[in-house]
Amino acid sequence: MKNKRKHIAHRMAIGAVTVCIMVLLSGCGKGKETQSFNLFTWDGMFPQEVLSGFEKEYGVKINYSNFDYDEDMLAKLETAKGGDYDLVIADDYIIEIAIGEGLVQKLDKGRLSNWGNIDPIFQGHFYDKTDEYTVPYGAGIPLIVYDPAMVGFEITGYEDLWNPALKNNVALIGNYRVIDGIVLKIMGKSFNEEDTAVIGEAGKKLLELAPNVRLISDNNTQDYIVSGEAAVAFLYTSQVTQALAAREDLKVVYPKEGLGFGIMAGFIPSQAPNADIAHKFLDYILKPEIAAKCFEHIGYVCTNKAAVPYLSKEAQESLSLPEEAKSGEFIMDISAEANEAHERIWTEFKARLD
Amino acid sequence: MKRQNRYGLFMSIPMYIFTLVFVLAPLCYMVLLSFLTRAEVWGVVNEITLENYQNIFTPVYIKTFYESLKLACICMVFIILVGYPFGYFMARLSAPWKKRVSMLLMIPFWTSALIRMYGWIIIFRSNGILDKFLMGLGITKQPLKLLYTYPAVVVGMVYALVPFMIFSVYSSAEKMDWSYVEAARDLGASPIKAFFTVTFPLTIPGLMSGIVLTFVPSMGLFFIADILGGNKVVLVGNLIQEQLMKARNWPFAAALSVTLMLLTSVIIWIYRKVAKVKDLEGFY
Amino acid sequence: MKKIRFSNFYIGLILVIMYLPILLIVVYSFNESKISSVWGGFSLKWYEMLKTDRAMHEAIGNSLLLGVLSCSAAAVIGTLGAVGMSRIKLRTKGMVEYISMLPIMVPEIILGMVFMTFFALIGLPFGMATLVIAHTAFCIPYVYMMVKARLAGMDISLIEAARDLGASPWRAFFDITLPLIFPAVLSGMLLAFAMSLDDVVISIFVTGAETNTLPVKIYTQMKTGVTPEINALCTIMLVVTLTIVGISGIVNKKSKVGKLRNEENYEK
Repeated sequence: MKNKRKHIAHRMAIGAVTVCIMVLLSGCGKGKETQSFNLFTWDGMFPQEVLSGFEKEYGVKINYSNFDYDEDMLAKLETAKGGDYDLVIADDYIIEIAIGEGLVQKLDKGRLSNWGNIDPIFQGHFYDKTDEYTVPYGAGIPLIVYDPAMVGFEITGYEDLWNPALKNNVALIGNYRVIDGIVLKIMGKSFNEEDTAVIGEAGKKLLELAPNVRLISDNNTQDYIVSGEAAVAFLYTSQVTQALAAREDLKVVYPKEGLGFGIMAGFIPSQAPNADIAHKFLDYILKPEIAAKCFEHIGYVCTNKAAVPYLSKEAQESLSLPEEAKSGEFIMDISAEANEAHERIWTEFKARLD
Repeated sequence: MKRQNRYGLFMSIPMYIFTLVFVLAPLCYMVLLSFLTRAEVWGVVNEITLENYQNIFTPVYIKTFYESLKLACICMVFIILVGYPFGYFMARLSAPWKKRVSMLLMIPFWTSALIRMYGWIIIFRSNGILDKFLMGLGITKQPLKLLYTYPAVVVGMVYALVPFMIFSVYSSAEKMDWSYVEAARDLGASPIKAFFTVTFPLTIPGLMSGIVLTFVPSMGLFFIADILGGNKVVLVGNLIQEQLMKARNWPFAAALSVTLMLLTSVIIWIYRKVAKVKDLEGFY
Repeated sequence: MKKIRFSNFYIGLILVIMYLPILLIVVYSFNESKISSVWGGFSLKWYEMLKTDRAMHEAIGNSLLLGVLSCSAAAVIGTLGAVGMSRIKLRTKGMVEYISMLPIMVPEIILGMVFMTFFALIGLPFGMATLVIAHTAFCIPYVYMMVKARLAGMDISLIEAARDLGASPWRAFFDITLPLIFPAVLSGMLLAFAMSLDDVVISIFVTGAETNTLPVKIYTQMKTGVTPEINALCTIMLVVTLTIVGISGIVNKKSKVGKLRNEENYEK
């Protein structure tokens, strides 16, 4: 039996070595910062230097955790009863729900010395009409981008995506409210149509788009048009910015049927453990030069008017809100029934692909 | 014997408790959830309804189940075609090679599954490795545009799941008494006949457990359909994810899950009937 | 003879195909360009970036900690369970066994959802605890199945002999049963650890504010674009794994001839 035991000891030793190596590999970066601050948003919303800069200046450690969908965020926040997280940045419609659920605390504007830098165009909207809860952090309009060399005609609106010449050549983002919404727009309706009969109509029209769809993806959709997998893409703003940065020959279209519009904003959960640091952080990212770095990084429309002069020339152009977009329509939360109808036509649409 | 029993009972307690509290209870809660109603804005309302299940029986969702099953079956065929011979051959290797090969099969699990799928993107995309290879050989003239197609999803699924089949078949074939085969051969059976009359029946438990371990999960691997299929193939897994994360309809997601689980149980039940064993084979 | 050659060729071929995507990941980790569709020349910049990416280090740390905790917990529960349940004849045994196996048979997304809603219901805060519970749940089956299989092939007379000679059941367990089943426990743990390290879907549902795990980080990063930094990370993980496998191979070989001394050297 002794031999067996040795054998075990020996195996255990190997195990121990394994664990040691792995822990050593990951061992760095576990300092003893005094305070920590839990930031909760999508991945890649801040350049590393901004985060590090804040940590250095205030002696705070930032825990940057990510979610994938707004709904995921809200689920976590509900479970934590508005605690655990100190600052959340998410989409407008979900903030409206979060406020309604009592999960958001009012901002102490006395502590936000840079509050005045916010461009008022992005304030006072449906999710926070009185600007008590949120600081906007980027805005976006989903747009069409296409490769003129691969598309034989000029694209001017959503309806052109249905053109049979684009067979198997369209890349779409995977947000069904947006995609269903453009069909509603073509029909002359609102993005926020709640009449299920109208949504059902839109579903029929949407099915006709199926042969043209090359892929649907929320992730890196711009890569597919940059690499030539698709000739046309319907993209989020940040993706449009990245696509254009990668290939200058691509063309952007502001669809004539009308634009969708969305704002991302930061808010402090009602039971945030470190609301104080969250205020400091919000104030920090409202500083013009810091904000400029952030917006160049995320590629969304700049919501900080003081930051504009700090942006590079190209960014000033690409990150400003074009005139036609000011009439853009928010995509808001709609009734459960309408939402179900949307979800259904979307599933039908996807089932029709390939 | 009685004392043995007591100790056995004592040792089983942690497993009993963990299973009941952290597996059974959550599953029961999910079943309960599937009968509740979604709230207008967020969360659920405690109103009992059957609507979620009725919803599943609308054509579009039935079709999703059908498509998932179809894809799972197609994948299964390839998984068996690739995995069975591999596991069988592996069982005939010498002992050190068995170890090496099973290590080689394990190592990919230590890198991220998502990233492995990205490796396939590099292979499949237009003018990617595969296109260059085939065009270089003159087999194809144009890029195949394989990415975001059905075959790409099948390849991804088979790739992700085939190790489970291999291990199952391997363990079954390894335990087998090869003297039976030799006896059959000595009695004049051709290698193929020996295989089908002796080897194959003896490895059926392994094959079946491989099927259980791969068929069911294949309906839930939504990210493969996302990454390699360009979201064009809708699986029940994708549907559940969408209901959960985008449509905020938790009860419906729960109802879909319960249905899928019932399906799973049926498959496992069939497995037990056919393989006439209680345990899944594999991994040892 | 010929047949065996074919089988070796077949195993080799499949392994090559299996490693092809991984190889490409390694190659592209040295890609200068950020976009994976373009080869921009050789560069080590992603490795340098990885060195300074603190969030990534934390994610790796969390993942490893989670893997170790959950596979250890699973090893204890699963091993005791397998040994214990082989000795009892309760009517609920089959049922419990079946339920405990469900986590690896049910599609992951269902499990993730179940855990999320359940933890929310009982008010357990999301974090390492919820992650460990969820991971332990799907790690147990691997350990359990392996140990059970090993027990089935074990000679019970050994234990009975020990008991006849007056060893207490616990002595018998630690001196005889455990050494005999230990390889199975270990390989179960190894597999469980790998599965835990690889899990995205379940983790994403039950992770908390301060516990980003590596796969979750990678998954959420896909939204903004996977950089070759991830490739670099995978390459490193692969190298580490291969090194460990290599070392244990060498140690195994040497220890057959030599003594335990070899391990002491390796520990340093």
